[in-house]
Amino acid sequence: MGTPLVEFRELAVSYGPLQALGGVSGAFLPGATGLLGPNGAGKTTLLKTLLGFLRPDSGSLRAFGLDPGVVPLEVRRRIGYMPEVDCHIGGMTASAFVAFAGELSGMPRDEAISRSHEVLYYVGLGEARYRTVDQYSTGMKQRVKLAQALVHDPDLLLLDEPTNGLDPAGRDEMLDLIGDIATRRGISLVLCSHLLRDVERVCDTVLVFNQGKVAASGPIASLTSARRVAFDVRLRGEASAFLTDLKDAGCDWREGEDGLRVFLGPDAGPELLFRTARECGVQIRHLRPAAESLEDVFLRALGHEVQA
Amino acid sequence: MPIYEQAYRRWEARGPLRAVRFWPITREALSLVLAKRAFIGLLVLVWIPFVVRLIQVYIVTRFPEAGRVLPVDGRLFGDFLNQQTGLTLLLSIFGGAGLIANDLRTGAILVYLSRPLTRRDYVLGKLSVLMALNYSATLLPALLLYAVSLGLAPELFLKWELAWIAPMIVLHATILSLVVSLVALAISALSRSARVAGLAFAGVIVGLEIVRGVLEGILDRPEARVLSLQNDLRIIGNLLFGVAETGGAVPAIYPIAVLVLTAAGCLAILRARVRAVEIVR
Repeated sequence: MGTPLVEFRELAVSYGPLQALGGVSGAFLPGATGLLGPNGAGKTTLLKTLLGFLRPDSGSLRAFGLDPGVVPLEVRRRIGYMPEVDCHIGGMTASAFVAFAGELSGMPRDEAISRSHEVLYYVGLGEARYRTVDQYSTGMKQRVKLAQALVHDPDLLLLDEPTNGLDPAGRDEMLDLIGDIATRRGISLVLCSHLLRDVERVCDTVLVFNQGKVAASGPIASLTSARRVAFDVRLRGEASAFLTDLKDAGCDWREGEDGLRVFLGPDAGPELLFRTARECGVQIRHLRPAAESLEDVFLRALGHEVQA
Repeated sequence: MPIYEQAYRRWEARGPLRAVRFWPITREALSLVLAKRAFIGLLVLVWIPFVVRLIQVYIVTRFPEAGRVLPVDGRLFGDFLNQQTGLTLLLSIFGGAGLIANDLRTGAILVYLSRPLTRRDYVLGKLSVLMALNYSATLLPALLLYAVSLGLAPELFLKWELAWIAPMIVLHATILSLVVSLVALAISALSRSARVAGLAFAGVIVGLEIVRGVLEGILDRPEARVLSLQNDLRIIGNLLFGVAETGGAVPAIYPIAVLVLTAAGCLAILRARVRAVEIVR
Protein backbone atom coordinates (compact mmCIF):
# COMPACT_ATOMS: atom_id res chain seq x y z
CA MET A 1 0.00 0.00 0.00
CA GLY A 2 1.34 3.43 -0.93
CA THR A 3 0.86 6.85 0.55
CA PRO A 4 -2.83 7.75 0.74
CA LEU A 5 -4.01 10.00 -2.06
CA VAL A 6 -6.78 11.35 0.11
CA GLU A 7 -7.00 11.42 3.88
CA PHE A 8 -9.82 12.71 6.03
CA ARG A 9 -10.02 12.93 9.78
CA GLU A 10 -13.08 13.60 11.91
CA LEU A 11 -14.72 15.17 8.87
CA ALA A 12 -18.15 16.62 9.54
CA VAL A 13 -20.28 18.15 6.76
CA SER A 14 -23.83 19.48 6.99
CA TYR A 15 -26.48 20.69 4.59
CA GLY A 16 -28.00 23.37 6.77
CA PRO A 17 -29.41 21.62 9.82
CA LEU A 18 -28.96 18.15 8.30
CA GLN A 19 -25.67 16.50 9.13
CA ALA A 20 -24.52 14.41 6.14
CA LEU A 21 -21.14 13.34 7.49
CA GLY A 22 -20.62 13.10 11.21
CA GLY A 23 -16.92 13.02 12.03
CA VAL A 24 -15.68 10.38 9.59
CA SER A 25 -12.07 9.32 9.21
CA GLY A 26 -10.44 7.28 6.49
CA ALA A 27 -8.18 7.33 3.45
CA PHE A 28 -8.17 6.52 -0.26
CA LEU A 29 -5.08 4.53 -1.09
CA PRO A 30 -3.63 4.11 -4.58
CA GLY A 31 -5.67 1.53 -6.45
CA ALA A 32 -9.41 1.08 -6.46
CA THR A 33 -11.36 2.05 -3.38
CA GLY A 34 -15.04 1.35 -2.95
CA LEU A 35 -17.43 3.66 -1.14
CA LEU A 36 -20.32 1.52 -0.17
CA GLY A 37 -23.51 2.38 1.59
CA PRO A 38 -27.22 2.87 1.16
CA ASN A 39 -28.59 6.02 -0.46
CA GLY A 40 -28.14 9.01 1.83
CA ALA A 41 -25.23 7.44 3.72
CA GLY A 42 -22.87 10.30 2.90
CA LYS A 43 -20.81 8.85 0.03
CA THR A 44 -21.56 11.56 -2.50
CA THR A 45 -21.18 14.23 0.18
CA LEU A 46 -17.63 13.00 0.78
CA LEU A 47 -16.85 13.22 -2.94
CA LYS A 48 -18.32 16.71 -3.17
CA THR A 49 -16.30 17.84 -0.17
CA LEU A 50 -13.22 16.41 -1.81
CA LEU A 51 -13.95 18.46 -4.94
CA GLY A 52 -14.30 21.57 -2.82
CA PHE A 53 -18.06 21.97 -3.47
CA LEU A 54 -18.86 21.75 0.23
CA ARG A 55 -17.04 23.20 3.20
CA PRO A 56 -16.52 20.90 6.17
CA ASP A 57 -17.97 22.03 9.49
CA SER A 58 -15.01 20.48 11.26
CA GLY A 59 -12.22 18.00 10.73
CA SER A 60 -9.66 17.90 7.96
CA LEU A 61 -9.48 16.58 4.44
CA ARG A 62 -6.36 16.51 2.31
CA ALA A 63 -6.03 15.33 -1.25
CA PHE A 64 -2.53 14.88 -2.71
CA GLY A 65 -1.34 16.73 0.40
CA LEU A 66 -3.52 19.75 -0.47
CA ASP A 67 -6.58 21.15 1.23
CA PRO A 68 -9.47 21.32 -1.28
CA GLY A 69 -11.06 24.10 0.76
CA VAL A 70 -7.96 26.27 0.25
CA VAL A 71 -6.73 25.28 -3.22
CA PRO A 72 -9.75 23.65 -4.89
CA LEU A 73 -8.51 24.27 -8.41
CA GLU A 74 -5.20 22.53 -7.79
CA VAL A 75 -7.04 19.53 -6.38
CA ARG A 76 -9.69 19.43 -9.11
CA ARG A 77 -7.19 19.46 -11.95
CA ARG A 78 -5.82 16.16 -10.64
CA ILE A 79 -9.24 14.59 -10.26
CA GLY A 80 -11.66 13.24 -12.85
CA TYR A 81 -15.27 13.26 -11.68
CA MET A 82 -18.06 11.19 -13.14
CA PRO A 83 -21.24 12.45 -11.45
CA GLU A 84 -24.16 10.24 -10.62
CA VAL A 85 -26.60 12.49 -12.47
CA ASP A 86 -26.81 12.90 -16.21
CA CYS A 87 -24.42 15.56 -17.46
CA HIS A 88 -23.80 16.70 -20.99
CA ILE A 89 -24.03 19.87 -23.02
CA GLY A 90 -27.04 19.94 -25.32
CA GLY A 91 -26.28 20.07 -29.02
CA MET A 92 -22.65 19.01 -28.68
CA THR A 93 -21.18 15.91 -30.26
CA ALA A 94 -19.42 13.49 -27.94
CA SER A 95 -16.01 14.34 -29.39
CA ALA A 96 -16.59 18.08 -29.01
CA PHE A 97 -17.94 17.58 -25.49
CA VAL A 98 -15.01 15.49 -24.30
CA ALA A 99 -12.48 17.82 -25.95
CA PHE A 100 -14.20 20.76 -24.27
CA ALA A 101 -14.00 18.98 -20.93
CA GLY A 102 -10.27 18.49 -21.49
CA GLU A 103 -9.83 22.12 -22.33
CA LEU A 104 -11.70 23.15 -19.19
CA SER A 105 -9.23 21.00 -17.27
CA GLY A 106 -6.40 23.10 -18.66
CA MET A 107 -5.35 21.09 -21.73
CA PRO A 108 -4.33 23.00 -24.85
CA ARG A 109 -7.12 22.82 -27.43
CA ASP A 110 -5.28 20.69 -30.00
CA GLU A 111 -4.21 18.19 -27.35
CA ALA A 112 -7.72 18.06 -25.94
CA ILE A 113 -9.21 17.35 -29.36
CA SER A 114 -6.79 14.56 -30.19
CA ARG A 115 -7.13 13.04 -26.74
CA SER A 116 -10.92 13.15 -26.85
CA HIS A 117 -10.83 10.77 -29.83
CA GLU A 118 -8.49 8.38 -28.03
CA VAL A 119 -10.54 8.36 -24.86
CA LEU A 120 -13.81 7.89 -26.74
CA TYR A 121 -12.30 4.90 -28.53
CA TYR A 122 -11.09 3.60 -25.20
CA VAL A 123 -14.58 3.72 -23.65
CA GLY A 124 -16.09 2.13 -26.74
CA LEU A 125 -17.71 5.16 -28.36
CA GLY A 126 -15.24 5.55 -31.22
CA GLU A 127 -17.82 4.91 -33.92
CA ALA A 128 -20.45 7.12 -32.31
CA ARG A 129 -18.24 10.04 -31.40
CA TYR A 130 -19.67 12.45 -33.96
CA ARG A 131 -23.23 12.01 -32.76
CA THR A 132 -24.68 14.52 -30.34
CA VAL A 133 -24.82 13.25 -26.78
CA ASP A 134 -28.56 14.03 -26.62
CA GLN A 135 -29.11 11.12 -29.02
CA TYR A 136 -27.19 8.61 -26.91
CA SER A 137 -28.72 5.73 -24.98
CA THR A 138 -28.31 5.61 -21.19
CA GLY A 139 -25.35 3.25 -21.48
CA MET A 140 -23.62 5.50 -24.00
CA LYS A 141 -24.24 8.52 -21.81
CA GLN A 142 -22.55 6.71 -18.91
CA ARG A 143 -19.58 6.01 -21.13
CA VAL A 144 -19.29 9.58 -22.32
CA LYS A 145 -19.43 10.69 -18.68
CA LEU A 146 -16.51 8.38 -18.01
CA ALA A 147 -14.66 9.73 -21.05
CA GLN A 148 -15.03 13.35 -19.91
CA ALA A 149 -13.67 12.37 -16.51
CA LEU A 150 -10.68 10.58 -18.08
CA VAL A 151 -9.74 13.00 -20.82
CA HIS A 152 -7.18 14.99 -18.83
CA ASP A 153 -5.60 11.81 -17.42
CA PRO A 154 -6.41 12.43 -13.77
CA ASP A 155 -4.46 10.98 -10.86
CA LEU A 156 -7.69 10.05 -9.16
CA LEU A 157 -10.99 9.17 -10.74
CA LEU A 158 -14.19 9.63 -8.73
CA LEU A 159 -16.99 7.47 -10.10
CA ASP A 160 -20.37 8.10 -8.56
CA GLU A 161 -22.74 5.20 -9.27
CA PRO A 162 -21.25 4.50 -12.72
CA THR A 163 -23.51 1.53 -13.43
CA ASN A 164 -26.77 3.39 -12.74
CA GLY A 165 -29.42 2.66 -15.34
CA LEU A 166 -27.36 0.06 -17.22
CA ASP A 167 -28.66 -3.32 -18.32
CA PRO A 168 -26.69 -6.38 -17.09
CA ALA A 169 -24.51 -6.56 -20.19
CA GLY A 170 -23.79 -2.83 -20.10
CA ARG A 171 -23.02 -3.06 -16.41
CA ASP A 172 -20.53 -5.85 -17.01
CA GLU A 173 -18.80 -3.87 -19.73
CA MET A 174 -18.66 -0.76 -17.59
CA LEU A 175 -17.19 -2.69 -14.66
CA ASP A 176 -14.63 -4.35 -16.94
CA LEU A 177 -13.67 -0.93 -18.20
CA ILE A 178 -13.35 0.48 -14.70
CA GLY A 179 -11.31 -2.57 -13.66
CA ASP A 180 -9.04 -2.00 -16.65
CA ILE A 181 -8.52 1.64 -15.69
CA ALA A 182 -7.55 0.67 -12.15
CA THR A 183 -5.34 -2.29 -12.91
CA ARG A 184 -3.77 -1.68 -16.32
CA ARG A 185 -3.85 2.07 -16.77
CA GLY A 186 -2.50 2.93 -13.35
CA ILE A 187 -5.20 5.43 -12.42
CA SER A 188 -6.45 5.28 -8.86
CA LEU A 189 -10.18 5.43 -8.51
CA VAL A 190 -12.94 5.70 -6.00
CA LEU A 191 -16.06 3.78 -6.90
CA CYS A 192 -19.08 5.05 -5.08
CA SER A 193 -21.95 2.59 -5.21
CA HIS A 194 -24.77 1.02 -3.30
CA LEU A 195 -24.23 -2.19 -5.27
CA LEU A 196 -22.00 -4.59 -3.38
CA ARG A 197 -21.13 -6.70 -6.37
CA ASP A 198 -19.82 -3.73 -8.30
CA VAL A 199 -17.50 -2.79 -5.48
CA GLU A 200 -16.46 -6.36 -4.77
CA ARG A 201 -15.60 -6.89 -8.42
CA VAL A 202 -13.46 -3.81 -8.95
CA CYS A 203 -12.07 -2.56 -5.67
CA ASP A 204 -9.20 -3.55 -3.40
CA THR A 205 -10.34 -1.61 -0.37
CA VAL A 206 -13.70 -0.48 0.83
CA LEU A 207 -15.24 2.08 3.15
CA VAL A 208 -18.74 1.22 4.24
CA PHE A 209 -20.85 4.27 5.05
CA ASN A 210 -24.00 4.30 7.06
CA GLN A 211 -25.92 7.35 8.26
CA GLY A 212 -22.95 9.66 7.80
CA LYS A 213 -20.46 7.42 9.59
CA VAL A 214 -17.85 4.93 8.43
CA ALA A 215 -19.33 1.62 9.55
CA ALA A 216 -16.43 -0.55 8.32
CA SER A 217 -13.26 -0.06 6.31
CA GLY A 218 -10.22 -1.89 5.07
CA PRO A 219 -9.02 -4.15 2.30
CA ILE A 220 -11.87 -6.28 1.00
CA ALA A 221 -9.71 -9.39 1.39
CA SER A 222 -9.06 -8.74 5.07
CA LEU A 223 -12.67 -7.76 5.75
CA THR A 224 -13.91 -11.01 4.31
CA SER A 225 -11.04 -13.10 5.75
CA ALA A 226 -11.82 -11.86 9.24
CA ARG A 227 -15.23 -13.28 8.68
CA ARG A 228 -17.01 -15.56 11.01
CA VAL A 229 -17.61 -19.20 10.38
CA ALA A 230 -20.80 -19.52 8.36
CA PHE A 231 -22.89 -22.38 7.06
CA ASP A 232 -25.72 -22.56 4.58
CA VAL A 233 -28.36 -24.73 6.19
CA ARG A 234 -31.62 -26.26 4.95
CA LEU A 235 -33.94 -27.70 7.56
CA ARG A 236 -36.86 -30.03 7.73
CA GLY A 237 -39.25 -29.18 10.51
CA GLU A 238 -40.19 -26.04 12.46
CA ALA A 239 -37.20 -23.70 12.34
CA SER A 240 -38.25 -21.04 14.83
CA ALA A 241 -37.18 -22.88 18.00
CA PHE A 242 -33.92 -23.90 16.32
CA LEU A 243 -33.12 -20.32 15.39
CA THR A 244 -34.05 -19.00 18.84
CA ASP A 245 -31.72 -21.51 20.48
CA LEU A 246 -28.94 -20.61 18.06
CA LYS A 247 -29.39 -16.95 18.87
CA ASP A 248 -29.19 -17.76 22.57
CA ALA A 249 -25.96 -19.60 21.84
CA GLY A 250 -24.44 -16.45 20.33
CA CYS A 251 -25.05 -17.18 16.65
CA ASP A 252 -26.67 -14.98 14.00
CA TRP A 253 -28.54 -15.92 10.88
CA ARG A 254 -30.18 -14.50 7.83
CA GLU A 255 -32.23 -15.79 4.97
CA GLY A 256 -29.87 -16.80 2.20
CA GLU A 257 -30.44 -17.50 -1.47
CA ASP A 258 -30.65 -21.18 -0.66
CA GLY A 259 -32.10 -21.66 2.82
CA LEU A 260 -30.56 -20.10 5.90
CA ARG A 261 -27.10 -18.69 6.37
CA VAL A 262 -26.00 -19.19 9.96
CA PHE A 263 -23.00 -17.33 11.43
CA LEU A 264 -21.49 -19.17 14.36
CA GLY A 265 -20.18 -17.54 17.49
CA PRO A 266 -16.42 -17.21 18.12
CA ASP A 267 -15.81 -20.62 19.67
CA ALA A 268 -18.61 -22.61 18.09
CA GLY A 269 -18.29 -25.33 15.47
CA PRO A 270 -20.72 -27.20 13.24
CA GLU A 271 -21.47 -29.66 16.04
CA LEU A 272 -23.48 -26.86 17.69
CA LEU A 273 -25.86 -26.94 14.72
CA PHE A 274 -26.42 -30.67 14.96
CA ARG A 275 -26.85 -30.56 18.73
CA THR A 276 -29.37 -27.71 18.55
CA ALA A 277 -31.24 -29.41 15.75
CA ARG A 278 -31.51 -32.61 17.74
CA GLU A 279 -32.74 -30.72 20.80
CA CYS A 280 -35.35 -28.83 18.76
CA GLY A 281 -36.53 -31.85 16.83
CA VAL A 282 -35.59 -30.62 13.37
CA GLN A 283 -33.56 -32.33 10.70
CA ILE A 284 -30.61 -30.75 8.94
CA ARG A 285 -31.06 -31.78 5.29
CA HIS A 286 -28.26 -29.69 3.87
CA LEU A 287 -25.13 -28.22 5.47
CA ARG A 288 -22.47 -26.45 3.48
CA PRO A 289 -19.63 -24.19 4.71
CA ALA A 290 -20.13 -20.68 3.35
CA ALA A 291 -17.81 -17.75 2.94
CA GLU A 292 -19.01 -14.55 4.54
CA SER A 293 -19.38 -12.31 1.52
CA LEU A 294 -18.92 -8.58 1.35
CA GLU A 295 -22.67 -8.40 1.50
CA ASP A 296 -22.59 -10.10 4.89
CA VAL A 297 -19.85 -7.74 6.09
CA PHE A 298 -21.85 -4.83 4.74
CA LEU A 299 -25.07 -5.90 6.40
CA ARG A 300 -23.24 -6.61 9.65
CA ALA A 301 -21.68 -3.15 9.52
CA LEU A 302 -25.10 -1.63 9.00
CA GLY A 303 -26.53 -3.68 11.84
CA HIS A 304 -29.06 -5.38 9.56
CA GLU A 305 -27.87 -8.90 9.96
CA VAL A 306 -30.21 -10.62 12.32
CA GLN A 307 -33.65 -11.10 10.87
CA ALA A 308 -35.30 -12.78 13.83
CA MET B 1 -19.07 -2.70 -28.14
CA PRO B 2 -15.34 -3.39 -28.18
CA ILE B 3 -13.62 -1.70 -25.32
CA TYR B 4 -10.78 -3.41 -23.58
CA GLU B 5 -7.89 -3.40 -25.95
CA GLN B 6 -8.15 0.18 -27.07
CA ALA B 7 -4.99 2.04 -26.21
CA TYR B 8 -4.99 4.51 -23.39
CA ARG B 9 -2.11 6.92 -23.33
CA ARG B 10 -1.11 8.74 -20.17
CA TRP B 11 -0.98 12.49 -20.60
CA GLU B 12 1.95 13.89 -18.71
CA ALA B 13 2.06 17.44 -20.03
CA ARG B 14 0.14 19.09 -17.22
CA GLY B 15 1.13 22.74 -17.06
CA PRO B 16 0.34 25.59 -14.68
CA LEU B 17 -3.27 26.75 -14.34
CA ARG B 18 -4.40 29.13 -17.07
CA ALA B 19 -4.77 32.78 -16.13
CA VAL B 20 -7.82 33.26 -18.40
CA ARG B 21 -9.97 30.23 -17.77
CA PHE B 22 -13.35 31.47 -18.95
CA TRP B 23 -12.50 31.77 -22.64
CA PRO B 24 -13.28 28.15 -23.67
CA ILE B 25 -16.70 28.52 -22.04
CA THR B 26 -17.42 31.67 -24.01
CA ARG B 27 -16.14 30.23 -27.28
CA GLU B 28 -18.12 27.01 -27.07
CA ALA B 29 -21.34 28.71 -25.93
CA LEU B 30 -21.04 31.29 -28.70
CA SER B 31 -20.49 28.63 -31.32
CA LEU B 32 -23.59 26.75 -30.09
CA VAL B 33 -25.69 29.95 -30.23
CA LEU B 34 -24.39 30.95 -33.65
CA ALA B 35 -25.02 27.47 -35.04
CA LYS B 36 -28.72 28.34 -35.17
CA ARG B 37 -29.75 29.86 -38.49
CA ALA B 38 -32.65 31.77 -36.95
CA PHE B 39 -30.23 33.48 -34.62
CA ILE B 40 -27.99 34.55 -37.49
CA GLY B 41 -31.14 36.04 -39.05
CA LEU B 42 -31.75 37.98 -35.86
CA LEU B 43 -28.17 39.24 -35.90
CA VAL B 44 -28.69 40.51 -39.43
CA LEU B 45 -31.92 42.17 -38.31
CA VAL B 46 -30.19 44.15 -35.55
CA TRP B 47 -27.96 45.76 -38.18
CA ILE B 48 -30.87 47.22 -40.16
CA PRO B 49 -31.05 50.39 -38.01
CA PHE B 50 -27.33 50.83 -38.65
CA VAL B 51 -27.96 50.85 -42.41
CA VAL B 52 -30.82 53.33 -41.97
CA ARG B 53 -28.58 55.66 -39.92
CA LEU B 54 -25.83 55.28 -42.48
CA ILE B 55 -28.21 56.39 -45.20
CA GLN B 56 -29.25 59.32 -43.00
CA VAL B 57 -25.62 60.44 -42.59
CA TYR B 58 -25.00 60.01 -46.32
CA ILE B 59 -28.07 62.04 -47.27
CA VAL B 60 -27.15 64.87 -44.90
CA THR B 61 -23.59 65.02 -46.24
CA ARG B 62 -24.87 65.18 -49.81
CA PHE B 63 -27.87 67.41 -49.13
CA PRO B 64 -27.01 69.61 -46.10
CA GLU B 65 -30.50 71.11 -46.02
CA ALA B 66 -31.81 67.64 -45.05
CA GLY B 67 -30.00 68.17 -41.73
CA ARG B 68 -32.90 70.34 -40.59
CA VAL B 69 -35.24 67.34 -40.76
CA LEU B 70 -32.68 64.64 -39.98
CA PRO B 71 -30.13 66.31 -37.69
CA VAL B 72 -26.72 64.68 -37.75
CA ASP B 73 -24.61 65.45 -34.68
CA GLY B 74 -23.45 63.78 -31.44
CA ARG B 75 -27.05 63.04 -30.44
CA LEU B 76 -27.41 60.77 -33.44
CA PHE B 77 -25.34 58.11 -31.68
CA GLY B 78 -27.31 58.41 -28.44
CA ASP B 79 -30.55 57.96 -30.38
CA PHE B 80 -29.07 55.05 -32.28
CA LEU B 81 -28.00 53.24 -29.10
CA ASN B 82 -31.37 53.89 -27.46
CA GLN B 83 -33.01 52.40 -30.51
CA GLN B 84 -30.79 49.35 -30.26
CA THR B 85 -31.89 48.63 -26.66
CA GLY B 86 -34.98 46.73 -27.79
CA LEU B 87 -32.86 44.65 -30.14
CA THR B 88 -30.35 43.76 -27.41
CA LEU B 89 -33.33 42.51 -25.38
CA LEU B 90 -34.31 40.26 -28.30
CA LEU B 91 -30.74 39.02 -28.70
CA SER B 92 -30.57 38.31 -24.98
CA ILE B 93 -33.83 36.37 -25.01
CA PHE B 94 -32.85 34.14 -27.91
CA GLY B 95 -29.14 33.91 -27.19
CA GLY B 96 -29.04 34.06 -23.43
CA ALA B 97 -32.12 32.34 -22.03
CA GLY B 98 -30.57 28.89 -22.24
CA LEU B 99 -27.04 29.78 -21.24
CA ILE B 100 -27.36 28.62 -17.63
CA ALA B 101 -30.84 27.07 -17.72
CA ASN B 102 -29.67 24.37 -20.15
CA ASP B 103 -26.64 23.58 -18.00
CA LEU B 104 -28.88 23.20 -14.96
CA ARG B 105 -31.26 20.95 -16.91
CA THR B 106 -28.62 18.67 -18.42
CA GLY B 107 -26.38 18.61 -15.35
CA ALA B 108 -23.56 20.21 -17.35
CA ILE B 109 -22.97 22.61 -14.48
CA LEU B 110 -21.14 19.74 -12.76
CA VAL B 111 -18.91 19.27 -15.79
CA TYR B 112 -17.80 22.87 -15.44
CA LEU B 113 -17.51 23.14 -11.70
CA SER B 114 -15.68 19.85 -11.18
CA ARG B 115 -12.86 21.28 -13.31
CA PRO B 116 -10.19 23.74 -12.25
CA LEU B 117 -12.66 26.60 -12.67
CA THR B 118 -14.27 28.87 -10.13
CA ARG B 119 -17.93 29.83 -10.18
CA ARG B 120 -16.73 33.29 -11.16
CA ASP B 121 -14.98 31.84 -14.23
CA TYR B 122 -18.19 30.09 -15.20
CA VAL B 123 -20.35 33.21 -14.83
CA LEU B 124 -17.76 35.33 -16.61
CA GLY B 125 -17.65 32.83 -19.46
CA LYS B 126 -21.42 32.91 -19.89
CA LEU B 127 -21.66 36.67 -19.37
CA SER B 128 -19.05 37.22 -22.07
CA VAL B 129 -21.30 35.41 -24.56
CA LEU B 130 -24.11 37.88 -23.92
CA MET B 131 -21.74 40.82 -23.85
CA ALA B 132 -20.35 39.78 -27.23
CA LEU B 133 -23.86 39.44 -28.68
CA ASN B 134 -25.04 42.72 -27.23
CA TYR B 135 -21.87 44.55 -28.25
CA SER B 136 -22.50 43.30 -31.77
CA ALA B 137 -25.78 45.22 -31.66
CA THR B 138 -24.53 48.31 -29.87
CA LEU B 139 -20.82 49.04 -29.64
CA LEU B 140 -19.78 47.61 -32.98
CA PRO B 141 -22.39 49.31 -35.21
CA ALA B 142 -22.21 52.55 -33.23
CA LEU B 143 -18.43 52.79 -33.55
CA LEU B 144 -18.64 51.80 -37.21
CA LEU B 145 -21.31 54.45 -37.77
CA TYR B 146 -19.06 57.00 -36.09
CA ALA B 147 -16.08 55.96 -38.22
CA VAL B 148 -18.13 56.15 -41.42
CA SER B 149 -19.55 59.52 -40.35
CA LEU B 150 -16.02 60.80 -39.77
CA GLY B 151 -15.08 59.64 -43.23
CA LEU B 152 -18.19 61.00 -44.97
CA ALA B 153 -18.53 64.28 -43.12
CA PRO B 154 -15.25 65.27 -41.46
CA GLU B 155 -16.45 68.89 -41.40
CA LEU B 156 -19.31 67.81 -39.10
CA PHE B 157 -17.55 65.36 -36.80
CA LEU B 158 -13.79 65.95 -36.89
CA LYS B 159 -13.81 68.57 -34.16
CA TRP B 160 -12.22 68.70 -30.73
CA GLU B 161 -15.52 69.59 -29.14
CA LEU B 162 -17.01 66.35 -30.48
CA ALA B 163 -14.12 64.13 -29.32
CA TRP B 164 -16.35 62.88 -26.49
CA ILE B 165 -18.54 60.89 -28.88
CA ALA B 166 -16.37 57.76 -29.15
CA PRO B 167 -15.81 57.39 -25.37
CA MET B 168 -19.54 57.98 -24.76
CA ILE B 169 -20.44 55.33 -27.30
CA VAL B 170 -18.18 52.87 -25.48
CA LEU B 171 -19.59 53.84 -22.09
CA HIS B 172 -23.25 53.75 -23.10
CA ALA B 173 -22.89 50.50 -25.05
CA THR B 174 -21.10 48.94 -22.08
CA ILE B 175 -23.73 50.03 -19.54
CA LEU B 176 -26.54 48.90 -21.81
CA SER B 177 -24.97 45.55 -22.71
CA LEU B 178 -23.84 44.78 -19.17
CA VAL B 179 -27.20 45.46 -17.53
CA VAL B 180 -29.21 43.58 -20.14
CA SER B 181 -26.74 40.68 -20.10
CA LEU B 182 -26.78 40.43 -16.32
CA VAL B 183 -30.57 40.40 -16.15
CA ALA B 184 -30.82 37.78 -18.90
CA LEU B 185 -28.18 35.60 -17.25
CA ALA B 186 -29.76 35.86 -13.80
CA ILE B 187 -33.16 34.89 -15.18
CA SER B 188 -31.56 32.00 -17.06
CA ALA B 189 -30.08 30.80 -13.75
CA LEU B 190 -33.53 30.77 -12.15
CA SER B 191 -34.96 28.12 -14.43
CA ARG B 192 -34.06 24.73 -15.88
CA SER B 193 -35.87 25.51 -19.11
CA ALA B 194 -34.55 27.92 -21.72
CA ARG B 195 -38.10 28.52 -22.92
CA VAL B 196 -39.35 29.43 -19.46
CA ALA B 197 -36.32 31.66 -18.88
CA GLY B 198 -36.88 33.44 -22.20
CA LEU B 199 -40.55 34.02 -21.45
CA ALA B 200 -39.71 35.18 -17.93
CA PHE B 201 -37.18 37.68 -19.28
CA ALA B 202 -39.68 39.04 -21.79
CA GLY B 203 -42.31 39.09 -19.02
CA VAL B 204 -40.09 41.11 -16.69
CA ILE B 205 -39.29 43.69 -19.36
CA VAL B 206 -42.88 44.03 -20.61
CA GLY B 207 -44.33 43.82 -17.09
CA LEU B 208 -42.12 46.64 -15.79
CA GLU B 209 -43.02 48.72 -18.83
CA ILE B 210 -46.73 48.22 -18.13
CA VAL B 211 -46.34 49.07 -14.43
CA ARG B 212 -44.38 52.15 -15.42
CA GLY B 213 -47.07 53.26 -17.84
CA VAL B 214 -49.85 52.78 -15.31
CA LEU B 215 -48.00 54.54 -12.48
CA GLU B 216 -46.90 57.39 -14.70
CA GLY B 217 -50.50 57.83 -15.79
CA ILE B 218 -51.85 57.77 -12.25
CA LEU B 219 -49.16 59.78 -10.48
CA ASP B 220 -48.27 62.03 -13.41
CA ARG B 221 -44.69 62.15 -12.21
CA PRO B 222 -41.66 61.53 -14.46
CA GLU B 223 -39.90 59.63 -11.62
CA ALA B 224 -42.20 56.68 -12.33
CA ARG B 225 -40.20 56.11 -15.51
CA VAL B 226 -37.32 54.61 -13.56
CA LEU B 227 -39.44 51.47 -13.01
CA SER B 228 -38.77 50.49 -16.61
CA LEU B 229 -35.33 49.07 -17.35
CA GLN B 230 -35.48 50.34 -20.92
CA ASN B 231 -36.32 53.82 -19.70
CA ASP B 232 -33.46 53.80 -17.22
CA LEU B 233 -31.04 52.88 -19.97
CA ARG B 234 -32.54 55.51 -22.24
CA ILE B 235 -32.29 58.22 -19.57
CA ILE B 236 -28.62 57.36 -18.98
CA GLY B 237 -28.02 57.39 -22.74
CA ASN B 238 -29.70 60.77 -23.12
CA LEU B 239 -27.60 62.09 -20.25
CA LEU B 240 -24.37 60.87 -21.84
CA PHE B 241 -25.20 62.26 -25.29
CA GLY B 242 -26.83 65.46 -24.13
CA VAL B 243 -30.28 64.62 -25.48
CA ALA B 244 -33.09 66.46 -23.71
CA GLU B 245 -35.68 64.31 -21.92
CA THR B 246 -39.20 64.84 -23.12
CA GLY B 247 -42.00 65.09 -20.58
CA GLY B 248 -39.93 66.33 -17.64
CA ALA B 249 -36.44 65.47 -16.46
CA VAL B 250 -35.69 62.71 -14.00
CA PRO B 251 -32.72 63.20 -11.64
CA ALA B 252 -29.89 61.06 -13.00
CA ILE B 253 -29.28 59.46 -9.64
CA TYR B 254 -32.59 57.57 -9.82
CA PRO B 255 -31.95 55.50 -12.95
CA ILE B 256 -28.32 55.04 -11.91
CA ALA B 257 -29.43 53.69 -8.53
CA VAL B 258 -32.00 51.38 -10.17
CA LEU B 259 -29.42 50.01 -12.61
CA VAL B 260 -26.83 49.48 -9.87
CA LEU B 261 -29.39 47.73 -7.66
CA THR B 262 -30.55 45.60 -10.61
CA ALA B 263 -26.98 44.54 -11.37
CA ALA B 264 -26.34 43.75 -7.70
CA GLY B 265 -29.54 41.72 -7.49
CA CYS B 266 -28.56 39.77 -10.61
CA LEU B 267 -25.13 39.01 -9.17
CA ALA B 268 -26.74 37.81 -5.94
CA ILE B 269 -29.04 35.49 -7.92
CA LEU B 270 -26.10 34.12 -9.88
CA ARG B 271 -24.13 33.59 -6.68
CA ALA B 272 -27.01 31.66 -5.16
CA ARG B 273 -27.90 29.58 -8.23
CA VAL B 274 -24.56 28.73 -9.81
CA ARG B 275 -23.53 25.89 -7.53
CA ALA B 276 -22.38 22.34 -7.92
CA VAL B 277 -24.49 21.33 -4.94
CA GLU B 278 -28.12 22.26 -4.68
CA ILE B 279 -28.98 22.68 -1.04
CA VAL B 280 -32.66 22.25 -0.28
CA ARG B 281 -33.45 23.68 3.13
